[in-house]
Amino acid sequence: MNNAVTKERLAEILDRAIQDVTEQTAGVRLNQNNQSPGEDICTVHITFDKGFSTSLTLCADTSLLYRMARNSFHEDEVPPEDLEEFAKEYFNVLCGKIAGAMFQTTQVAAHFGQPMFCRGRYEPEGQEIQFVLTYSDENSASAQLIHHVPCSHTDGTVSEQS
Amino acid sequence: MSKRVMVVDDSRLVRVQMEDVLAGTDYQIVAHCRSGEDAIKQYGEVQPDLVTMDIIMQGMDGLDAAEIILKNNPDAKIVMISSLAYGDTFERAKAIGAKGFVDKPFHQEQLLKVFGQALQ
Repeated sequence: MNNAVTKERLAEILDRAIQDVTEQTAGVRLNQNNQSPGEDICTVHITFDKGFSTSLTLCADTSLLYRMARNSFHEDEVPPEDLEEFAKEYFNVLCGKIAGAMFQTTQVAAHFGQPMFCRGRYEPEGQEIQFVLTYSDENSASAQLIHHVPCSHTDGTVSEQS
Repeated sequence: MSKRVMVVDDSRLVRVQMEDVLAGTDYQIVAHCRSGEDAIKQYGEVQPDLVTMDIIMQGMDGLDAAEIILKNNPDAKIVMISSLAYGDTFERAKAIGAKGFVDKPFHQEQLLKVFGQALQ
């Protein structure tokens, strides 16, 4: 059985998952484009600790995350601690969707730990960017979903962890 | 009479979503536990008809918490609600006696169907 997923197939899985989960969880429609987030950004990051040697990072305009959190909590104002909680839960669900789709494709059950949240940009150590998907909402607020692989991994596939 | 539900999830967002989905149904949320340890402690006091259990939580995870609750209360009806609804996680949930598994993000129709099956 081939447990590797091509970069192109993985990008399709990520794209489908982020669009579906964002709309279902927060009622926000994201469209893929080339508009990078601005300077006021937040990052959520998850490392897959079983199944695949890979990690995912969402780097988004803070205004976009606040909008999504307000929609999800049905509140006009969301305090910063609830923004963090929202971002972690949203990203946890998103990564679960991605891992579920990967399982359908490879029969490899990937596991991941608690999401990490920070203000600003975060670059995981020992990993390099394999590809970036960039999105914006109808208010032109942006987000990037970044797929990282270990620095030595260069063949363009994501393989089962040995 | 409405069925009493205990929600175990470290996310307030899930509680809000669960309240939305269960509004106007025969299910009422009577407790919200934010950890597996809290769920074990509260189960005996609350005596819910149904427990919804997240898997990835700080401290004890939902599978371990469900296993302990079921060991102490074999008639407990526990539905796992998680984004990890596949592979060995799914198999372990079945093995410890969980009555169902709902994928996040959940929908009302899907949730009520699994709740109904769990309580049969």
